[in-house]
Amino acid sequence: MIKYEFLKIMRKKSTLIIMAVSLLVTSFLFGLPIMQYQTYSEDGVIKGKEGIAFSKKQFMDLSVPLSEEYITEIIKEVQQLFENPDNVGYDGNEQFLIGDAYWNDIAPREKLLNMIAKTYDSPNENSGYQKLASLDGNSHADFYQALQTKMQTLLNAPERALSDEQKEYWSSMSGKVETPLQYGYYEGWEIIMSSLELLMIAILSVCVVVAPIFSGEYQAGTDAVILSAKYGKTKLISAKIMASFLFGTLAFTLHVVVACGLPLATFGTDGWNLPIQIANTMIPYPFTFLQAALLSIFIIYLILFAMISLTLFLSSKMKTPYLVLLVLVPVLFLPMFLMPNGTTGAYNLMLFLLPYRAAMPEIGKFISYQLGSLVLDAFSVRAILYAILTIVLLPVARGGFQKHQVI
Amino acid sequence: MELQLQHLSKQYGSKRAVDDITINLTPGVYGLLGANGAGKTTLMRMICGVLKATSGNIHLNGKTMQELGERYYAHLGYMPQDFGFYPDFTAREFMLYMAAVKGLGKEKAKSRTEELLALVNLQDKADKKIKSFSGGMKQRLGIAQAELNNPTILVLDEPTAGLDPKERVRFRNLISDFAKEKIVILSTHIVSDVSYIADIILLMKNGSFLLQEPMATVTDSIKGKVWEVLVDEYEAARYSEQFSVVNLHHENNMVRLRIIDKVPPSPAAIYVEPSLEDLFLYHFGEEVKEEK
Repeated sequence: MIKYEFLKIMRKKSTLIIMAVSLLVTSFLFGLPIMQYQTYSEDGVIKGKEGIAFSKKQFMDLSVPLSEEYITEIIKEVQQLFENPDNVGYDGNEQFLIGDAYWNDIAPREKLLNMIAKTYDSPNENSGYQKLASLDGNSHADFYQALQTKMQTLLNAPERALSDEQKEYWSSMSGKVETPLQYGYYEGWEIIMSSLELLMIAILSVCVVVAPIFSGEYQAGTDAVILSAKYGKTKLISAKIMASFLFGTLAFTLHVVVACGLPLATFGTDGWNLPIQIANTMIPYPFTFLQAALLSIFIIYLILFAMISLTLFLSSKMKTPYLVLLVLVPVLFLPMFLMPNGTTGAYNLMLFLLPYRAAMPEIGKFISYQLGSLVLDAFSVRAILYAILTIVLLPVARGGFQKHQVI
Repeated sequence: MELQLQHLSKQYGSKRAVDDITINLTPGVYGLLGANGAGKTTLMRMICGVLKATSGNIHLNGKTMQELGERYYAHLGYMPQDFGFYPDFTAREFMLYMAAVKGLGKEKAKSRTEELLALVNLQDKADKKIKSFSGGMKQRLGIAQAELNNPTILVLDEPTAGLDPKERVRFRNLISDFAKEKIVILSTHIVSDVSYIADIILLMKNGSFLLQEPMATVTDSIKGKVWEVLVDEYEAARYSEQFSVVNLHHENNMVRLRIIDKVPPSPAAIYVEPSLEDLFLYHFGEEVKEEK
C-alpha cells in the first residue's frame, strides 16, 4: 500500500512541477551568495572562481592555532604598522591603514583581525582591526581572558534579563569550547549557516504536495470506496502517513543536498572541523562548523516532520487541499514578518520557536528557556517541541480520516 | 448469512434522511427503488460504514459492525454513485491498489485483477490511464473493484446511471453474474434495470420503506387497477387532472393514457397487466414530475 500511496504522490504532474520550482528557487537562493561573492586585492575586485582561489590562498597561512603568543604577535604587528604615520589614513572619524601596509599586512587577514578585535570590543562596539592599535602593546594579549570577560558582560547585560541558572548554563557551555581555537578557511560553512531558514521553501513545497493525502480523497470522491474496504480505516492510513513522510524526507533531503552542496562545491568543505567560534567568538556552543550545521539541519528536519504532521491533520479535517494550504502558509511564513525585540520575554521566546524563526540557528544569541531550575537552549526546546507536535498530530490526523463521514 | 438493519435512522438537522428502517437481508438481489432524495444513498453509505447512523444498528450474522471491525468490511464490496478514480493510475494499478486496501495477498490480487478486468472487458485497456476512460468504462472498472474481494455483500449505488442502453444491458448481466450467493443491494431510479435482475423490491420514500415485496408479487397491490384509454387532447387534460396518469403516448391526434385507479376511468378503458414502472410512478409520480 505504501508503494501505491507513494506512486499516487509521484504520478501527479503538480508534484513534479512544485518540486522542480522549489529546487530552482532553493538553488537560486543558496547560489546567490556564490554569484555575488567577491574579494579585493590591491588591483581591484576579484569575482567568481578566481576570487575564491585568491581568498583561499590568503587563508592558507592563517590555518594555525590561535595561541596567546600568536595573537600577541599579530596585535604587535598591527600596532607597529600604526606607529608609522605614512601607513595611516584618517577620514575625520577614525584612523585606518593605507597603501602597502593595508594591502600586504591587513587585507589578507582582515577577517581574522576583525574577529580578534571584536573580542576586545565592548558589547555594542564594532570597531574593526583598528581596535588592536589601542590595546596595551607591552603586555600579553590575554585573548581568551578577554573572550571570557566579554562573555560574562554579555550574560550579565540587564537587557538580556538572564536568570542565574541561565547564566550558569551558558558559562558552563562556553567553558567547554576547546582553546586555543584553530583558525582556517570556512566560507562555505558560513554561507550554509547564514541561509538555513531558506529551506522553509522546501518545507512549504513538501506540505503543498502532501496536502491532498486525505482531503484529495474527499475532493475526488474516492473516500467512500477506500473507507469501506477492509484496511481503509487502519493500514491504509498508516500507508498514507508513511508515504507522506517518505516523500517528504526524500524531497527535503534533495533540497538539503542542493542547498549545502552548492556552497561546499564552490568554496570547498574546508573548515568542517574548525570551531564555530572563529566566525564569532561569542558563540557558546562547543561545536565545529560541521556539528553546528548538522544540528541545525536536524532541527529543520524535525520542523519538516511536524509540518507534514500538521498538514496531514488539516488534510484529514478539510474538504479540499486548498483549504489546508490556506491555514498552513500563514503558519509557516507569518513569523517571517514578526521581528524579535530581544532574546527574552514571552513574545521573543515564542517567536524563536515558530517554524520560520526556529529554522534560523541563532547560535550566538544565548536563547534559553527555563522551567524551574531546568535550563534548556533553543536547539533542545525546538527539538522537543517539534517532536511532540509530530507525535501528537499524527494520531489526530489518523482519527480525522477514520471518523470521516461520506455525506 | 444475514445482514440485519435495526431501527436505522439518519438525521441531518431537522431532516430525517433515513427513518427507522428495520430489515433482515439474506442472499438475493435487492432492488432499492426511490425518487432522488428518498434516502437510498444515505442508507447504502450507512450499510457500508462510511456514514454513521444517528441511531440504530447494523448486524452481520448477529454481530454489530463495530464488533466485527475489519471483518465486517472484508465482506463488503461497494460501488458508490459517481465515485472518483485516480486519473493518473492505469486500470490495472487501480485494481491492484484497491486489492491491497481490501487485504488481498500479492498473487491473489494479480490473478483477481486480471480475471475481473477480463470479465468487465477491460483487459485491453488495463495499462491505459483512467483519465482516458469513457463513463461506461469507468463504471465497469467501478464494479470490477467492488468484486475484487469476492464480497458477500455487494452494494451498488446507481451503477447504471449515465450509461447508454446497450451498456446498461451489459452491466445488468454483469451484476447478475456477480450476484450468486450474495446479498446484492442495488439502488436505481431506472425501473427497468431492477425489474430484470432484482429478487426483492424495496420501495423507499421519505427515508423509509414503503414496500418490501418479491419481484414476482410486487405489482400485486395495483393488480386490476391499471387501465389504458385512447382520448383526444382535450379529454387527456381532463383525465390528467382527475386520475393518476402514469404514462401518456401521442398517437396521431389522439393520446393513449395509462391510468391507475380502482375502477375503470371510462367504459372504453382497457385493463392492462401492471408493471414495476406503473408501481413506481404510482408512488413517485409527483416527485418525478417535480424533477422534470
